[in-house]
Amino acid sequence: MKWNSTKTLSVLTLSSILLLSGCGGGNNDNSSSTSSPTTSTSDTSSSTSSPTTSTSDTSSSSDNTSSPSDSADSTKMDTSPIAFSFFGADISPNWNNMQDDVGKAITAATGVTINAEFDVGGGGGEDKISLMAASDQYPDIIFSKGNLGKLVDAGAIIDLTDLIDKYAPHIKEIMKDSMNRMKYSLDDQAIYAIPTNGGVNNESFDATGGFQVQLRVLKELGYPQIKTVQDYENVLKEYVAKHPTTDGQPTIPLLLNGDGWKRMITVTNPAFIATGAPDDGEYYVNPETYEAQLHYYRPEEKEYFRWLNHMYNEGLLDKNSFVQKDDQYQAKIASGAVLGLISQEWEYGNAENSLKSAGKNDATYGHFPVTLSDQYQDHELVSAGVDFYGISITKACKDPVRAIQFLDWLASDEGQVLNNWGVEGKQYTLDASGKRVIPDDVNNAKVNDNANFSKSTGIGLYTAFAPHYGDGVKDSTGNYYTTNFPEQIIASYSDAEKEALAGYNATTWKDLWPKDLPVKEWGALYNMQVPTDGEYQVIYTKTQAIVDKDVPKVVLAKTEDFDKVYDEFIADLDNAGAKKMGEMYTALVKNRVKLFTGKDVQ
Amino acid sequence: MKTLPSAGTTQNVDVPGLKKKQRFWAGIVREKYLLLMSIPFVLWLFVFNYLPIWGWTMAFQNYKPAKSFSEQKWVGFDQFKTLFHDHDFYLVLRNTLAMSVLGLIAGFTIPILFAILLNEVKSMPFKRVAQTITYLPHFVSWVVVAGIVTSMLSLDGVVNNLLIWLHIIHEPIQFMAKEHWFWGIVTGSDIWKETGWNAIIFLSAITGIDKELYEAAKVDGAGRFRQMWNITLPGIRSTIMVLFILSVGHLLNNGYEKQLLLGNSLVVDYSQVLDLYALNYGIKIAHFSYGTAISMFNSVVSILLLFTANGFFKKFAKESIM
Repeated sequence: MKWNSTKTLSVLTLSSILLLSGCGGGNNDNSSSTSSPTTSTSDTSSSTSSPTTSTSDTSSSSDNTSSPSDSADSTKMDTSPIAFSFFGADISPNWNNMQDDVGKAITAATGVTINAEFDVGGGGGEDKISLMAASDQYPDIIFSKGNLGKLVDAGAIIDLTDLIDKYAPHIKEIMKDSMNRMKYSLDDQAIYAIPTNGGVNNESFDATGGFQVQLRVLKELGYPQIKTVQDYENVLKEYVAKHPTTDGQPTIPLLLNGDGWKRMITVTNPAFIATGAPDDGEYYVNPETYEAQLHYYRPEEKEYFRWLNHMYNEGLLDKNSFVQKDDQYQAKIASGAVLGLISQEWEYGNAENSLKSAGKNDATYGHFPVTLSDQYQDHELVSAGVDFYGISITKACKDPVRAIQFLDWLASDEGQVLNNWGVEGKQYTLDASGKRVIPDDVNNAKVNDNANFSKSTGIGLYTAFAPHYGDGVKDSTGNYYTTNFPEQIIASYSDAEKEALAGYNATTWKDLWPKDLPVKEWGALYNMQVPTDGEYQVIYTKTQAIVDKDVPKVVLAKTEDFDKVYDEFIADLDNAGAKKMGEMYTALVKNRVKLFTGKDVQ
Repeated sequence: MKTLPSAGTTQNVDVPGLKKKQRFWAGIVREKYLLLMSIPFVLWLFVFNYLPIWGWTMAFQNYKPAKSFSEQKWVGFDQFKTLFHDHDFYLVLRNTLAMSVLGLIAGFTIPILFAILLNEVKSMPFKRVAQTITYLPHFVSWVVVAGIVTSMLSLDGVVNNLLIWLHIIHEPIQFMAKEHWFWGIVTGSDIWKETGWNAIIFLSAITGIDKELYEAAKVDGAGRFRQMWNITLPGIRSTIMVLFILSVGHLLNNGYEKQLLLGNSLVVDYSQVLDLYALNYGIKIAHFSYGTAISMFNSVVSILLLFTANGFFKKFAKESIM
């Protein structure tokens, strides 16, 4: 081989320089510096920000490209182009870089483009956010879910109290009854996150949790009563005896997902759901004394796990439940061979959507509030009040005012309708009486081809960005803010689903659930941030590792060994310091009740 | 630098009178282009391999993000104390070492055996095809390999079907749920994935052996196996030694992808390795100092192992990489 020495040398040097410079730059600046925001701060600060004007104007055309003559309206915001970087701790597979209809409308109205990055894999953002804190490099806006505490402890999040007060009339209006609930903690009453992962004043019209049974099973067995785990077991048993195979594959009576954190959704959370306790993450909180303890200590739950163990030993629970990975789990559901699930619709939604796309509507699932025995009531639908994961602005954001104005615009009626309904004339129309209607073809695409629908329209992709009203709330035009209202929910049901509901004399699955449960005073504890310093996190991680390891053992134990294995599990938790952790958590819960309600808790 | 040698006469001869220092500078000038060429790589090495060592200071602090270096609280060896008092740490250390040693043994013997056997094959086309087929899995990501392994070993997978068909077992075995088999499964899938690739270097070492040696051996009446034992193996001995010593240094840094992807909650006592431990108890819960302490322990032990292995071979096999 002949080498031209100088040429080789220069190529080598050049490539090494490229290598070096590639990493030297660090982050290539979050591009927010490219567009200089033209002083919107000075004039707006004086205004007492009344949210009066902009309501009911849904015509999507607020193109006020800085008309200088219009100086009277000082709340008008700057719409010069600006880009914000964003990280979302949930996966968002349909994100289309704002090239969807809703995204384009948002950019047209606010001038903002979002350079978004979302968590991959199982979601949650844990690793990514830890690394952000360690490297001190943040996106401008972040939806951090359960990891807000890490960012706050690292001093990365700015206090939004004043910004909301000055620039965010719409957010203030939405959150007016829940201002206390936005505060971070009793000791640090700053607002670090605006709750966005749920609807304010939400009234759920449908239930999407509980225990699931395939519609074909219900139909064939003549819509049997499914209230207790025994009923549930009988139904699965009877059907699988009649149909041992589905499309040539063996029928799977019951399937759980033991992969990673989804273990909570399908294996351990149902233990308290089926025994009448509300969802407080890994804890059970005594509603009188506010004593918190890992929910596995409840004696009722031992009986639930005993039932799961029984299902396994009967051969009804799929043997691969704790071995398979999430994708294998989803693939099994998408094959239509799984009769029963114990999960939440969002957990297996993608698999169910592909069943719908394949036209296998009878293999989709109905929801039942199954409990261990008649003495319990399913408390899943207990409202935690306004307490959701929220959106935050970091110290890396060069123009927090524009950022909060952007979030505020999304929280305006115009923004909310755009987010939920789409663009007028495309995804919905107004009928003669001014009522928003979704055309049939649009609804069809939404239900049966949801992935492509959200990719092209952007509907639902921006809900985590700003606070919004929940289902059942009407705007000033008398329309619902969201598209989830009874008529629309029923219109979204497939024929098979409608048939099954008719078999139970119900119009929605929620009709099967108990009604009028009291609101929890301590909110949603999974959203309560715990100190990242000290022992708590270590003990918690250890107990979680024990639960991950021991619960499968409990479920897969031989019937006669069950008690022994379960007692070992509890002993392991004790040894890891679960009791002590419970005490620390109790103190946090009590502080929270004080903060939220103003009550004096001992 | 005043005695700049203009011609190549003086410096090639080792003149005893010339002072050491002068010879040094002369050497630099003589090899100036070579040295210039190496500068970018030295820089590269420095930036990526030496600058990060500064971060080890975190292991002796109670590190808090967003505080400057001078504001951090120094805690001495507290992080290490916690580490060495943690029962789980010894568990993951055991798993890491066990899987690494198994991988090391299998990762050497089998590729060497394979390379020698392949070398004996006379049919060129077959040899080429066999080589290509065996090294292709190296390019398959662990994610895919893990998927293949899991489904092959599942209850209704190929392996169970085969064993039942052969009447070796009556009930399907859930391989992935047996904690004692996990190390074996990891090592086995590693062999499947890397044997062909690792054999390449040995094959090329074998081609370097003088053909006359084989002919001479034949004349002396050595059979095939004699030739393998007395010529091929000694011929690639130095390659084997160097690679072995280097791998010993990587014993603790065996990666975690295999364990993460093949493991599940049932086998976690045997699948958790040091890197995953550092991830769960260091980075994930923002205890950065603790994570640093783990990785520092990792590095120090790796260096010790490397020197031990090197010293050992230096003494007994007269081979050394340093």
